[in-house]
Amino acid sequence: MSNITQKGSDEAEFAKPLYTPIKRRSFFMYAGATAGATALLLSGCDDDEGDVSNPTTTGTVNLGSGDVGVLNYAYALEQLEAAFYAQVIANFASGFSADERTALTAIARHEAIHRDFFKTAITGAAASQIIPGLTPNFSAVNFSDRGSVLATAKTFEDLGVAAYNGAGALIQNPAYLGIAGKIVSVEARHAAYIRDLISNGTFADNTTVDSNGLDKAMTVAQVLTAAQPFIRETINGSNVGK
Amino acid sequence: MDFLTLLARIADLSPATTFPSDVSARRTALTRLGQAGAAVLPPVLAALPSLADAKVLNNSTILDAIKLALTLEYLESEFYTRALALPNATTFFGSAENRNAIQTIATHENQHVALLQRLLTEAGAVIPAKPNFDFTGSKNGAQSALYPDVFTNLDTFLKVAQLLEDAGVRAYKGQVEFLVSDNYLLEAFVRTHSTEARHASHIRTMRRQRGAVVKSWVSPSDAAITTAGSTPDKAYAGEATTAQYTPGPRVVPFETTLPINVGDPLLNREALLAKVAEAFDEPVDAATATELAQLFIY
Repeated sequence: MSNITQKGSDEAEFAKPLYTPIKRRSFFMYAGATAGATALLLSGCDDDEGDVSNPTTTGTVNLGSGDVGVLNYAYALEQLEAAFYAQVIANFASGFSADERTALTAIARHEAIHRDFFKTAITGAAASQIIPGLTPNFSAVNFSDRGSVLATAKTFEDLGVAAYNGAGALIQNPAYLGIAGKIVSVEARHAAYIRDLISNGTFADNTTVDSNGLDKAMTVAQVLTAAQPFIRETINGSNVGK
Repeated sequence: MDFLTLLARIADLSPATTFPSDVSARRTALTRLGQAGAAVLPPVLAALPSLADAKVLNNSTILDAIKLALTLEYLESEFYTRALALPNATTFFGSAENRNAIQTIATHENQHVALLQRLLTEAGAVIPAKPNFDFTGSKNGAQSALYPDVFTNLDTFLKVAQLLEDAGVRAYKGQVEFLVSDNYLLEAFVRTHSTEARHASHIRTMRRQRGAVVKSWVSPSDAAITTAGSTPDKAYAGEATTAQYTPGPRVVPFETTLPINVGDPLLNREALLAKVAEAFDEPVDAATATELAQLFIY
């Protein structure tokens, strides 16, 4: 700040009004868009302190804080998706056409690539903070039933998109934001494909896109609540992005 | 440090000092500047977190990003609206299912236009007028058409739709780094971005159902809808890259021996790298996005 004061407060007063109202105004606009997004924005606004004191107890996985926390968050979700599709393609339920099997196999490969991409990214950025491999719990999924497989795939893809959309504001390093952007649109393409398989034309219906044309965004807490039943370990994401 | 860059830095560093009582004065200032013209606004509105970043982020600003997005949304909105308004729309779309899907997409594009216009209005900026569009690509007859049957042949229409949606996804992706300091605008852009990706996926699915060789995601195995080296091909140039980096920068290894090689049968290196290319969508910069939009503007 010191160089700013030296340059003169007139300039500071001149510039501030130009920039701040759009943030304030748009905040209220989005606050009305979804309650979930609002909660995220509020939590992302005011608390920058890192908290590394949370102990990792047996059976609990702490995603950590800051950008590494966001990367671990994405890594956890990609692990879940990759494990799910690996099981789907290992023994296809009856009723999947050859084209659908090819597409689901491609998705399984994309997710495995995303998973290991994050593993490499976190190892490079903070090797000591990477979360372990998680143990999936797919007991609620009937892998021999096409409907159960597709319903679960839709849940995971929509959840992944909403998670990335909600996490964008938590990311500090623009490079990680770019990476998230490269992946989330592929997840959205998956989500639309799976939705169209379930019911053609539901690729972007009003259960995921709101009246501003905005796709869903969810907070870390909301996403982990939805994902937790599919993971044996207890995931603690309370400091992600903080 | 030049004056405008300084202003930009101050603008970014001071948001926490905003108080509700300042709003009306700030809006007045914004309105004045909005009227002063775009030449003044962009650098002043820039949100550059640091000097080092200022060099990387060059001239692009939040206002530039919103205006680019609005141009693309005007384009998409007009494209679908014209098709839905065709006197023979029922015949043109062939089925209620097709028409409903295009209606769903058109509704979102109209909503995106309205949202971006509201953002500009709230900031006191002037809303750019909607350009003139010619979706045949003939610039209103000034040159030979790229897509002469765009509104008479559904396959051509869907090809152009795919081009616009895929390009739109890449354009939004290219702008998010300029919004990193504004969480609210950033979230609006990323959420619009994934809506566009859903559209692109569905358009591709529609084309595949009509016999085109195309995945619901961008794949090296797609039959090209553009000619290599042409301007329209800039919507796809670079999408097939398999080099992905994490900060450092460190290149991420993708080898057949890694656990990424799943499925039966296991893939050879070339086939695996094709999956890597599919797994990441690539951004385009503002200049490329503008060039693509200009194909249809006269």
